[in-house]
Amino acid sequence: MENYDKSLKKIFTKRLQAVQKLPKIDGSKSIIDILEEKGISRRDFMKWASYMTAYLGLSSSFVPTVAKAAEVADRLPIIWLHMAECTGCSESLLRSDAPTIDSLIFDYISLEYHETIMAASGWQAEQNLEGAIEKYKGKYILMVEGGIPTKLDGHFLTLGAFAKTGQDVAKEAADGAAAIFAIGTCSSFGGIQAAAPNPTGAVPLSEITSKPVINVPGCPPSEKNIVGTLLHYILYGTLPALDAYNRPKWAYENRIHDLCERRGHFDAGEFVQSFGDEGAKKGYCLYKVGCKGPYTFNNCSKERFNQHTSWPIQAGHGCIGCSEPQFWDKMGPFEEPMADHLFHGPFGGLGADATVDKIGISLLTITAIGIGAHAAISAVKPPKE
Amino acid sequence: MKIKHFVEKVEGETELEFDFKNGIVNNVNIVFPFYRGIEEILRDRDALDALVITPRVCGICNHAHLLASARAIENGLQNAGVNINLTPKAISLREFTLYCEIIQSHFKWFYLIAMPQLANLNKLEISDNHILKASWANINTVKALAIFAGQWPHSSYIVPGGVTCDPTYEEIIQAEALIDDIIKFTQNEFLGLSIDEYYKTKEISSIKGDMGIILSMLKNQNMQEKGKSYDRFLTLGEHSAFTTGIYNQSLYSDANITYVKEHVQSGSKAKSVSYDNQFCEVGPLARAMLRKNNFILDIHNKYQDSALTRVCARMDELINLLIYTKDLLANLNVKELSCTLSKLPKDLEANGTGIVEAARGSLIHQSTIKSGKIQNYSIITPTQWNLSNGLEQSYGIATKAMRGSINTQEANFIFRTFDVCSVCTTH
Repeated sequence: MENYDKSLKKIFTKRLQAVQKLPKIDGSKSIIDILEEKGISRRDFMKWASYMTAYLGLSSSFVPTVAKAAEVADRLPIIWLHMAECTGCSESLLRSDAPTIDSLIFDYISLEYHETIMAASGWQAEQNLEGAIEKYKGKYILMVEGGIPTKLDGHFLTLGAFAKTGQDVAKEAADGAAAIFAIGTCSSFGGIQAAAPNPTGAVPLSEITSKPVINVPGCPPSEKNIVGTLLHYILYGTLPALDAYNRPKWAYENRIHDLCERRGHFDAGEFVQSFGDEGAKKGYCLYKVGCKGPYTFNNCSKERFNQHTSWPIQAGHGCIGCSEPQFWDKMGPFEEPMADHLFHGPFGGLGADATVDKIGISLLTITAIGIGAHAAISAVKPPKE
Repeated sequence: MKIKHFVEKVEGETELEFDFKNGIVNNVNIVFPFYRGIEEILRDRDALDALVITPRVCGICNHAHLLASARAIENGLQNAGVNINLTPKAISLREFTLYCEIIQSHFKWFYLIAMPQLANLNKLEISDNHILKASWANINTVKALAIFAGQWPHSSYIVPGGVTCDPTYEEIIQAEALIDDIIKFTQNEFLGLSIDEYYKTKEISSIKGDMGIILSMLKNQNMQEKGKSYDRFLTLGEHSAFTTGIYNQSLYSDANITYVKEHVQSGSKAKSVSYDNQFCEVGPLARAMLRKNNFILDIHNKYQDSALTRVCARMDELINLLIYTKDLLANLNVKELSCTLSKLPKDLEANGTGIVEAARGSLIHQSTIKSGKIQNYSIITPTQWNLSNGLEQSYGIATKAMRGSINTQEANFIFRTFDVCSVCTTH
């Protein structure tokens, strides 16, 4: 383990030195200066860094390295594009979630183009985008929020004065990007607009570019998953280990169910039968009122939302499976258990690899039957009073 | 002369096509070049799926959509003869979380839209601190919301018959503490006055803080004379903090949903909405007028439905709701039931309408459910009321307000006083 840590640290140090040699985008201030100006001390920053270190699954000796990675983040320009979406992902990242330091880093550092928060608008904004693509060609990180409509030659979404289609803008931006992250389920898997009958022919980002796309799904994804993915890229300079759907494993490896606070009730066969009943008051398992936690890979049960305040299951509503491909078509009805409705999406496999898709689905199907059977048996055997 | 102008930095993109005559804006065509087809997607799905799908219409007023979809189902059940008795606890929690969403949206408007745009118009430099202030106020307001709703954006804790959460006193105290912090921020930063002083003052000139800066920049631009529309207001959603009805040039009357009509607009992907074939303004100013809020009635008396009055109404609503949310929490009885309706019948047949006041105005969901499936779903969003293009004879609300502007920059700001949101308008 020690040797592993040592060689990993070597990789990080080399990478960070390389990044540090890149010119700063805004030469006037460092991230530390900006944070201090805003009343965030070095100590707070280190606290945040140690949190992110644990989050990325690194040992505590990596804290200074992660802090360094955040400090040099202002060398990597980021272009954030909005496609067909509701802006919920930006909301999650920039305003409603925390630690606030994450938002700060995004607010002030090298975010070259972000429609919602940038100062420019109109013509100027469009020039900013084209200018940024040209100026940082091959170097920038592209983050895309939203699915991409393709029907009517993509005219369900046009941007700017020349009415460029979203599809063209995304394609162009992807061509010159050093790394591409699809932020949120819409961009990762098509999302709500791609749900049957998919009126606008919305597709995920990965379908319009031949380059590898890292998917950070969720509706919305937690901002820690977004920032973590970015820090990972800065540290390693390579793409993180991904699962079959190109989701970073460090965030999407476990099921919601695995670490759920109501898991004990599932195991004991104690279920909420309908909202507002005795079981609901006691915080029993929500499987029978539609929770999709057993089929959903994400870290919400550990990380929660809004500064760790809460998450849907804590508020008494089941998980809807929002970080899974085509969950809008596969996981519904959303207030009923999955067991009766084994995956039968109207589409074939999208995502990374059709074969892996099939294997993944059949694996999940077996789990689903197991879970369904467990719930059925527990219905016969009434929970203990 | 025709000039095209793009309004970005809204949620989504809007295109304004100005038609100038004699150096002033004569007409504006508002185009939303964006469509997702959420209503089409809802068709043939399980009745309750509307609860999780409709919030995705908008990342900013998603909670209003959640409540509207639950109300549409409840109304349908009532029409089919099922009794819905929400407990006071469920009602208060729904109201609390909805008002939190409105509050955060208003803060965002003041700091992210009004501040920088007005500074631009006045050719003033302002520090970028306003982004942080917006961020702080938002983070904490939605945190209070999330204590009960699980997360924001896109919470799912409202179901027909009530809510799913069962808050403890500890959670209520947490939420109260957050609201207290936001009130402190409002007094120290936003108003530069204590809440008591604010309620005592009859003059907007005594308001200090960031709001004072915004108000003086508005006056510099003569916004008390500009941005006037039809002086016709509508509030449709029933809530403890608002009053429904229609106000038409000093006449008050009851509002009836049957007069609401949607019209297809050529060239834009958004539909326009009229009430009794007339356009009505919805949102904070409409709510203040129908609530007969004295402070805003006074300003309205002086400056009618000008851009300044509209902005003041948004400010006043923010403060009133902030104080009111504390009452809601203080009177919450945790022993009551959270949800009083058990599972819906599989073959549910129901037609219902759910109306909610969202940050930008009245939001309407109408659903037709046959054999437990959604046969038809129609969503009318607040921005459709305010940002319609108009019919042959009459201009839309925002267009009327922008007419007479001397340049596109000024017209653009007047457009923004309606709090533009493109993703909502087109859905």
